[in-house]
Formats: sequence, structure tokens, C-alpha cells
Amino acid sequence: MELVYFLIETIVKVGLVFGVLMGCVAYLTLAERKILGRIQVRYGPNRVWPFGLGQPIADGIKAFFKEDVIPAKADKPLFVIAPMISITAAISLFAVIPFGGVIEFFGREVSLVIAKLDIGLLYVFAIASLGEYGVVLGGWSSYNKYGLMGALRAAAQMISYELALALSVMGVLMIAGTLNLVEIVQQQAGWHWNAFYHFQFFPFIFYLICGLAEINRTPFDMPEAEAELACGFNIEYSSMKFALFFMAEYAHLVAVCAIATTLFLGGWDGPFNLPPYLSWIWFVAKTGILVYFFIWQRGTFPRLRYDQIMRFGWKFLLPLTLANIFGTGLYMVLTG
Amino acid sequence: MWDTKVAPRKLKKQFPNAVLETLSFRGEETVQVKREEILPICQYLASDPDLSFDFLTDICGVDYPDNEKRFEVVYHLYSMRRKTRLRLKTVVGEEESLSTVESVWKAATWFEREAYDMFGLSFDGHHDLRRLLTWDGYQGHPLRKDFPVRGEDFDRYEMPAEPLDAFSIMPEEDADERQMVLNMGPQHPATHGVLRLVLKLDGEVITDAVPYVGHLHRGVEKLAEGMSYTQAITLTDRLDYTAGICNNMSYCLAVEKLLDVEVPKRAQYIRVIMAELQRIAAHLLWLATHALDMGAMTVLFYCFRDRETVIDILEDITGARLTPSFLRIGGLAADLPEGIDKKITAFLDDFPRLIKEYETLLTKNIIWLKRTKGVGVISPQEAINWGLTGPVIRGSGVKWDIRKAIPYSSYDDFQFVIPTGENGDVYDRYLVRLEEMRQSARIVRQALKKLPKGRIRTRDPRVTPPAKADVEKEIHALIRHFKVMSEGVSPPPGEVYCSIENPKGELGWYLVSDGTSKPYRYRVHTPSFVNVAALPEMIKGHLVADVVAVIGSIDIVLGEIDR
Repeated sequence: MELVYFLIETIVKVGLVFGVLMGCVAYLTLAERKILGRIQVRYGPNRVWPFGLGQPIADGIKAFFKEDVIPAKADKPLFVIAPMISITAAISLFAVIPFGGVIEFFGREVSLVIAKLDIGLLYVFAIASLGEYGVVLGGWSSYNKYGLMGALRAAAQMISYELALALSVMGVLMIAGTLNLVEIVQQQAGWHWNAFYHFQFFPFIFYLICGLAEINRTPFDMPEAEAELACGFNIEYSSMKFALFFMAEYAHLVAVCAIATTLFLGGWDGPFNLPPYLSWIWFVAKTGILVYFFIWQRGTFPRLRYDQIMRFGWKFLLPLTLANIFGTGLYMVLTG
Repeated sequence: MWDTKVAPRKLKKQFPNAVLETLSFRGEETVQVKREEILPICQYLASDPDLSFDFLTDICGVDYPDNEKRFEVVYHLYSMRRKTRLRLKTVVGEEESLSTVESVWKAATWFEREAYDMFGLSFDGHHDLRRLLTWDGYQGHPLRKDFPVRGEDFDRYEMPAEPLDAFSIMPEEDADERQMVLNMGPQHPATHGVLRLVLKLDGEVITDAVPYVGHLHRGVEKLAEGMSYTQAITLTDRLDYTAGICNNMSYCLAVEKLLDVEVPKRAQYIRVIMAELQRIAAHLLWLATHALDMGAMTVLFYCFRDRETVIDILEDITGARLTPSFLRIGGLAADLPEGIDKKITAFLDDFPRLIKEYETLLTKNIIWLKRTKGVGVISPQEAINWGLTGPVIRGSGVKWDIRKAIPYSSYDDFQFVIPTGENGDVYDRYLVRLEEMRQSARIVRQALKKLPKGRIRTRDPRVTPPAKADVEKEIHALIRHFKVMSEGVSPPPGEVYCSIENPKGELGWYLVSDGTSKPYRYRVHTPSFVNVAALPEMIKGHLVADVVAVIGSIDIVLGEIDR
């Protein structure tokens, strides 16, 4: 009987998270266009329903009904699988992210996370780098030189920044002593946020920069680089396959922000305690602020050049994140 | 002031046998030389320290089918030091060829290719004599006088049995070479129109680049030969379509020089006001697209917002936004409308704040600096040798602006400075253009303040039709009105070259008149054409992303490259 309850509970949670996430992704496209519009002295979408609220739905319908073109010389199986890999990886990340405390539900203790994995953070990095395969394979399989260059850039960027990304959270791991994301959040309860309480502010910034590179956004949108590569890896994609890449990018963006919230900003812990069944509000609010920052900086920065990104990753971020490990070690020894 | 007659005199002394004739018309010196001696003469002119004609403005052909030797090749030279021009001419028969001057000025490369393409002139020793504006395999030479204009006069076009190889110059990648050939354009978001670049890449590093132009070739020079001088004004807006008024002005000045007509001071000032506003608009468009190419999306919208204000002002004056065709030979189509000065002043008052807005986003932005500093560098000597003009040559530190060097349209009445760069990279060209916008605003302000009263068209009866009131009363006025309107102007036989400082560089017209009301030769020297010729030089050894930066920084408009 316990197994049935567990299955029902998990299925409901998966459905809920998936639904909310997809809704977020859809409306994130609208939010991005609206916020960028605000920055760029224009309106953004405002034709479909009040404030353009129907725009994501309209876009979705349009993407579904567009002709799906597969280039004659493309590697068809890979070409089809690539966007699936991207979107699957991006969504799977949410399996281990805790978005609230433990609540009482029909006499059952339900914790607001899909899987309380002991190797949660390891899982996150594994799945996140899997997502890059979608980009690499998509660009490579489309038989297009621009796509190929986008794929090569994606591969190079992935290796360089994945390293710095993993190293930037080492400090948090050392302090927490666990890879379980739920426990990491619980340790930060009561304003003991890693970013401020344990002097992990700079790693937090490094994490955000690497996160930008990880999800290929300006100023690190090398695989896409609209100006020189004319959309890079997704140049040959159309219809829903293109939309899947797009959704994967936004889902990944939300995931990166959610992980940052979990690791550095205390997860569902807030300035004052809400009842457990409302604790997700803090989590959503913090993630939302980070997402806003990611959109905001897109309206501000030009794009870096490929070699500069590589240099920045290897010569600047990597040594600093390494130094942070030593710094954190020193801090732990000194404070006991 | 340097005596323009010195150069022909020295040339005659140095080459007594090669110089056939020297002519002077409207203050321009022309030297007719022997075909065989063209290379030594050019070498002498370029290297003589006293003359130093270090800058090749233009090479073009003129076709006289009735002459025994049918073609004339015309070289326009300029001396940076003496601020003076010289025209060299030589006659070539249909079967003859002449020596290339590539070794003297690199700028000659593309001009000679164009002459080869348009007239079938052949240049001995040219390293890359291919068609430029038409495609390989094109039949005939469009600017020859016997080339048909109407479609029905052509032979039926047969598709070649074997399709032409698009990579004829740069073969598909060689397995041993480990290099990739990347075709960029003509449909590409960042080539600013239909420029096609074939890049040879080693990884992301560019080892070779070949630009292909001509996708937008409309045959403007041929079309104009069938139009009257006034009608041909409408062709000018469509060259550099970001700066219609400036193009009008350049052409009208050339015709006025040919006719020897004095334009009233008020018209000159209004022309300056409009040209400078147009320069601001053109530079704003450049900044918008240049920044977008580098990923700075927001600047695009800021610039377009402010360009809109300028274009609105120009629309108030001319009634058109993109292609005004507002200038007339000998003046303007109409006077300024009521209250326009308030609008212009309001914009000028706001403008420094707006420029500051763009600058906060870019000038000290570390990413912008990284992307632009040290990219696309061209040294001052190279820039002169390539015949670059406008902000590109000034970015390299050559203080050369035609508004100061050879003032036209009362530019010497106004105070302004020529901004120059130091390193000749993308960043310096960016700074130069920003400062030019400020200086343009300064000129407009002065011109508005000093704007004299009076006529807006010359009284010269050859170009200006009589007033409507007179036409209704006087028979001779009616006849003259009819003549001017139906026939247009008929300048005396002769030839002039006149150029102005367009937003993108030197835009000049070489007009040959045979005394009729249609130009015999309507040669346009456009700045983007010479600037894009030097593009491969600037991008070799850089990365793919830099191509976009450099194309943006030389600010090309394909409408005037392809003509």
C-alpha cells in the first residue's frame, strides 16, 4: 500500500512540476520580450489578449503548424533526436531541486521535491552537460557549415565552463558536507545563506557567469551568435523542433536560477517564516529575481568573441574558482 | 594655395614625349598622355616629393565609338599634401591593352576590374582581372555605347550547359589543407545587404577572404546616359539610400560646376543644414546596426528612435523620408517650411544627451572595447594607398575631410573640427563617427543662426524656369519655361569631377558633357566601393566574429557599391 501512495505522490508531483515549469517557460518568453521591450523603448507583444498574454499560446500554435523541414543531406536520426535531448535534459534537472519544506497532506508527510537524491548535485551536473549534446549534435547533424561552427563552439564552451561551474560550487559543498540539495537548503535555514553567511558571494557571481555560458545567453551566446553565424546550431531547424530548442533554453535558464537559489540563496528559506505549504513562494521569488537579472543583462551587453570567452573561462574563472576552494578550506579550518 | 598648373608643367618637362596635351576646364587640370607611358608617369606622380599624388581617387573608362581609338581611360589623382587634383587621360583602342597601376596604388585593383567589366578594357599585369559587378560568364560590356538598353534589343539568354562554379576562385576545401571555405552572404544578417564574402578558415581564423559584389547592380551609370541632367537627380538618392540629400547635393554640385552656375547663399546654407542632418541620421543608422552586429541590441532601438526625429525633420522640409530628390540644379525645390528651425533646435538641444546615452552603453563597456580595439587595423599609409575615404581613413589618423580640404557649399563659413583616430581600428572609427555627429550638430546650429535671406534658386536663365506669373503674361517667358522644362539644361562640352564628404566618405561625380541635355558619361565614385575593396586586408588573420565588426565599422551600403 505504501508503494501505491508513493507512486501516486510522485506522479502528482512530477505532473505539477512539469505543468508549472512548462507554463513558466511559455510565459518567460513573453516576459523576456516585455522586459526587453521596456528596456528598449518599445512595447513588446501586445496584440493577442490584454498585455499580449495570449502570445505564448499563439506562438505555440504557430510553431506546431509550420512546415517541418529536414535538410536532404542531414543525418536524420540525430537531427530529430537532438532537440529531444536538449529539452529532456533541461526538464529532468527539476527532479532534484527542492522548492519547499515538508508539508502534511492527508496525514502523510510530503516533501516538496520530486526525488531526495543523495547525489543530487552530481545528478544536476551530469544532466546539465547532457543537454549540451543536443546543441552539439543538432548543429553537427544539420549538414550546414554555420551549424557545424555553432556545434564546435558549443562543445568548446561546454568543456571550459562546465569546469568552472562545477568548481564554483565546491565551496558550498565543502561547507555543507553533502551533495543532497534538500540538506543543503536545510543547513541554510534562518538566514544562514551560503552566499552571504559563509562568504560565498564571489563563487555565487562566478556561478551566475558560468551559468550564462552554460545556457548560451548573451554575452556568451557563441553557438548561436546571430550576427556572424546566423543562428548557429539551430540554423536548419524549423517548426516544433526549433521551438523545442527554444523551450529547452528557457527551461535551462530557470533551472540554472533555481540551482543558484538552492545552493547560494537558501532555497525556500525567507526573511520571515511562511507556513510550510507556502514556503515555495520564497523559492519562486528568489528564482524570479535571478531570471529577471538574466534577461536584464541581455539588454545591456554586447556579445563577446569566441577566443575571448575561452580565455576568460580558462585564465580568469578557473584560477579564481580554484582559489575559492582554498579560501573556503582556510575559512573552515579557522572557524572550525 | 598651391598652383594647380604646376603638376602638368612638371609632367611635361619630365616626359616631353609622353604628354600629348594639357587642358584646363573649370579650374581642373587634365593631362593627356600616351598609353605606353602610363605606368612610369603614375609612378613619377606618386613618388615625386614635390607633387606626391599619393591618393588615387578613381579610374574609369569613357567610350567614344566614332573615334579611331575608341576608349578613353581617365585617372583622377589627388595629392594629400597639396590638396589638389589632377586628371590623367589616355586613349586605348578596342584591341589594345594598357599597363596596370596596381603597383602604385592598391586602390586601382577594383577600379581596373570595374573598367574591365564595364568596357572590356584589359590591363596588363593585373593580378586578378575578373568581372566585378556582373557575373563571370556575362556577355558584353554594359557601359559601351553600343550595348543595348532595352530588353528586346538583347539576344536570347542561354543558360550555360555547365553551371558556373560559385567557388571558381576559391575551390571547395582541400582534404590536405585542413581549411574550410565558408560562404558568408549574400543573404546574411550582418553583411549589411547583399555583400557576399567567401572566407577561407583555419578553425575560426580567416586565412583568405574574397568579396563578391554586384548583386544589386542596376546599371545607374548606363541609365543616366538616357536621362536629362535634372532627371538623373532621382538616381542619386538610391545610391547611398541612408543619405539621400547628400547624394543629391554631390550630383547637383557637379552639374553646377559643369554649367558654371552660382548657387544663392541661402540655398547653400539650407543644403548644408540638410546634409548635416542627413549625416546625423546616417551615422545613427550605422551605430544602430553596428552595435546590433556585436550583440548590443538595445542601442539599435535608441538610435532608431532618434533617427526618427531627424527623418521627421527632413520629411517636413522635403516631403520624403528616404529618397527626397529635393535638390535642384542651381538651388532647391522649395524653401524651408515655417517653424522648422524650432524643431531643429529642439532636436539639437536634446542631441548631446542622446549621444551620451549610447556612449554609456558602449564607449567604456569592457566587452565593447575587447571586441573593437585592435580589430581591423589599417595604417595611415595603407589607408591612403587603398584610397579609403571618410571615417575609415580618419580613423587611421589621416586628417582628411573634403569639407575642409576643398570646401564646397560655403562650408568654410562654419567652425568645426575633423576628428581623427590613432590606431585605425574598429574602435577608433566608432569614436570618429560619434564625434562627427557632434560636429554636424554644431554646423547645423551655426548655419541656422547665420541663415541669410534671399532666393533659393539661381537667377541663371539656363537652369531656372521663369516665375509662373511671367509665364502667364509674357510669350518669351512661356517659351523659355517650355524649353527648360522639356529639354532640361544643356551644359557646354567639357568634363568635371566634383566630390563631397558624404557620411561614408568621398562621393564624387565625373560628368562628361557633349553639349546635349543628357550626360555623355555619368561616373559615380562611391566611398563604400573603395572601402570594401580593402576589407580582405583588414580581416585577414582575425576571427569570424571580427568580420562582422569590421564590415560594420566601414559602414558599407551595397546600393552604392553595386550602383
